[in-house]
Amino acid sequence: MFGQFFQTIFQADFLFIIIRITAPILFAALAAVISEKAGVANIGLEGMMMITALFGFLFAYWTQSWVVGVLGAMFVGILLGLMMGFFSFKLKTDIILSGIAVNMLGTGGTIFLLYMFTGLRGNTGALVSPNILIPTIDIPLINKIPILGDILSGHAILTYLAFIFVFVMRTFLYRTPLGLKIRAVGENPNAASSVGVSVIRMKYIAIAMSGALAGLGGAFMSMYYSQGWNQGMVAGRGFIALAAQAMGRGEPVGAMFSSLLFGLAQAMKTKVSGLRGMASYNYLIEMIPYVVTIIGLVFYAVSIKRKARRHQLRPIKEKLQ
Amino acid sequence: MRDKRMVLFGFVRGAAAIALALAVGTIFIFLSSDEPFTALKYLLIGPFVSFHGGVTAFNTQNFYQVLAAMIPTIFTGLAVCVMFSANQFNLAAEGCVLVGGFVGALVGIYVNMATGWHAVICVLAATVVCGLIMLIPSILKVKLGASEMVTSLMLNFVLLYIVLHFLNYHFADRSKGATMTYPFLDSAKISSIVPGNSKLTWGFVIALVISFVIWVFMYRTRWGYAIRMIGINESFSLYSGMNVGGTIVLSSVIGGMLSGMGGSLEVLGRYNTFVWRELPGYGWTGVTIAILAKNNPGLVPLAAFFLAYLNKGCQLMSTHSDVPSEMIDIIQAAIFLFFAAEQFLSGYRQKLVVKTTREELMRAESLKATEGE
Repeated sequence: MFGQFFQTIFQADFLFIIIRITAPILFAALAAVISEKAGVANIGLEGMMMITALFGFLFAYWTQSWVVGVLGAMFVGILLGLMMGFFSFKLKTDIILSGIAVNMLGTGGTIFLLYMFTGLRGNTGALVSPNILIPTIDIPLINKIPILGDILSGHAILTYLAFIFVFVMRTFLYRTPLGLKIRAVGENPNAASSVGVSVIRMKYIAIAMSGALAGLGGAFMSMYYSQGWNQGMVAGRGFIALAAQAMGRGEPVGAMFSSLLFGLAQAMKTKVSGLRGMASYNYLIEMIPYVVTIIGLVFYAVSIKRKARRHQLRPIKEKLQ
Repeated sequence: MRDKRMVLFGFVRGAAAIALALAVGTIFIFLSSDEPFTALKYLLIGPFVSFHGGVTAFNTQNFYQVLAAMIPTIFTGLAVCVMFSANQFNLAAEGCVLVGGFVGALVGIYVNMATGWHAVICVLAATVVCGLIMLIPSILKVKLGASEMVTSLMLNFVLLYIVLHFLNYHFADRSKGATMTYPFLDSAKISSIVPGNSKLTWGFVIALVISFVIWVFMYRTRWGYAIRMIGINESFSLYSGMNVGGTIVLSSVIGGMLSGMGGSLEVLGRYNTFVWRELPGYGWTGVTIAILAKNNPGLVPLAAFFLAYLNKGCQLMSTHSDVPSEMIDIIQAAIFLFFAAEQFLSGYRQKLVVKTTREELMRAESLKATEGE
C-alpha cells in the first residue's frame, strides 16, 4: 500500500494539484494577513468567500465575461469588508461577532440570494458555460521543460495571481508608506495615532483589501475550482486560512508556505482516498486537512512560547556571565 | 431613577434592533416575492395563528413545536454564554451537539437497561464525553496560547468526520436505505409532556431548570464570579491571584457538557434513530442567543424562544409562499449585528444620561435650598 502511495505522490500531476488547491486558501490567507496586520481579526472570511463566490459567478453569468465576474466578486468583497468595518469600528460590535454575522450570511443568506436572483436552489449547475470560467494559460518556454512545465504551466490566471500577490503584499507592507501605517496601527494604535495616522481609516483600508482578496478566493472557487457555485463549496477554507495566517506568523511568505502545507494535506486526502483498501476510511481521510491545521497551530504556538521564554531568559543569562 | 431609565433604554434598544432587522427582512421579501403580504403574514404571526378555512385561531400544535425547537438551542445558548463570559470565543458547541447526540444514541441502543434510569445514563454519557472534548481547545489555549477560536472551528470538522466514520462503518443499520443507526431502546427515549406530534419532551423542562442552575452558578457562586471576572479583565484577575487558566478550562468544559446534554436530549426526544449527517447548526444559533441574552443565562430561554418563533415563521413562510426559509439567516445576521453593536443608539443613551444627571443635580440643589432656609 505504501509503495502505491508513494508512486502517486511523486508525480508531476500531484504537485500540480497541490498548487491548484492552494490558490484559494492562499488568497484567503493573504486576506487574513492584511487585516491582522492592522489589528483586525477577520473571521468572516469563510462567509465572504461564499458570498463573493456567488456574486462573482452571477456577474460573470449576466455579462458572460469572467473578467467582470472576478471584478464583481472583489467589489462585493470590499463592500462586505466595509460593512464589517462600519459595524465594528463605528457601532463597536466586537469584530469577531461581526465576522460570525458575515459567516451566517454566507451559509444561509447565499442560498436565499441565489433563489432571489435566479430561482435556483442550492447550486448553479444549470448556468455554467465555458466562457464564464476563468481560463487557464500555458506559460511559453516553461511549458517546454519536461517535469517543471507539467507542474507550473497550465494553471488558471488567478492561480498565478495568488502567488504573485504574496510578493506584492510583502512589498506593499514593508516598502510603502501606506503599508507602514497599516502595520503601525496594528502594532500600536496609540503610537500611530499620536503621529497623526488615522487609525480607523487604516483599519477600513485593511479590511476592504481583505475583502477584495477574499473576493478573489471566492471567484476562484466558483469560477474555476468547482465550476459553478454550490452550497458548502468553501468547506472551511476561510477558517483554514486563518490558521495559515497564524502559522505563517502573520507574514505573507509564511502564510504562503503554510497554505501550501494545507494544499498538500488536501491533495493527499484526494490521492489517498483513491487508493485501494482505503475506501472504508474515507471520512477519516476527509479529516486530514483539519487535523493538520490543529497540529500546525500547536507547533506554531509552542515555537512562539519558546521564543518568548528565550527573550525573557536572555537578560538574566547575560547578567550571570 | 438612573437604573430604571437604563433598563428601559435596554428594552428600547433591543426592540429597535429587532425592528430594524425585520425591516431588512421585509425589504428582501418585497424584492424576491410575488406575494409579499402572504409571506409576511406567515412570517410574523404564522407560528401562533392558524388560518385554516378562513377562521383564525390560536394554533396549539405550532406553539408546542416552537417550544420543542428551543430544547437544543437553550443548551447551546447557555454553553456559549458561559464560554463567552470568560472571553473565550470557543465555537465548538456546534461539534459537541453532534457528538452528544451520537453518544447519547449509542448508549440508548447498545446499553441495555430496563429501568427509567436508562435515558439519564444516555444524557450523562453524552455530557461527560463532550466535557472531555472541550479540554482540547481550552488546554491548548491555556498551556500554549493557541487561538481557541481557530482550534474549535477545526475541531468541529474533525468531530463531524469522526462521527460520520463510526456511523457509516461501525454502527449503521445496513437493512435501511439511508445510513442510520438501529432504533433506540424504548427505555432511552425522552417522553413527551403534551399529547400530539410536537416532540415537546421533558427535555424542555430540563432546559429551563438548567438555565436557572447556570444562572445561579454564574451570578451566585465564586466560580461563576471568577469566570465573569476573567471576561471583564483578565490581567486584573491574574494579578489578584485568580487561577485564570483553570477557570478558562472550567468554563469551556461546562460549555461542552451543556452542548452534549442538549444534543443527546434533542436526538433521544425527537428521533427514533440517529440520523444527523452534517453539523446541525445549533451551535451557531447558540451564539446568536448568547448575544441576544447579553451572556445572561436567565435571559437565554427568552432569546431561544424568540429565535425559535422566527425560525418557525420562516419555515411556514417558505411552505405557504415563494420565499425560501433561508431568509432566517439574513434576519438573524442583521439582529446579531445591531444587538452586538455597543454604539447602536448611543446618542439616545447619552441624552438619557445627561437628562438623568441634570434632574439629580436640580434635586440636590433644591434640597440645599430648603436646608438653607
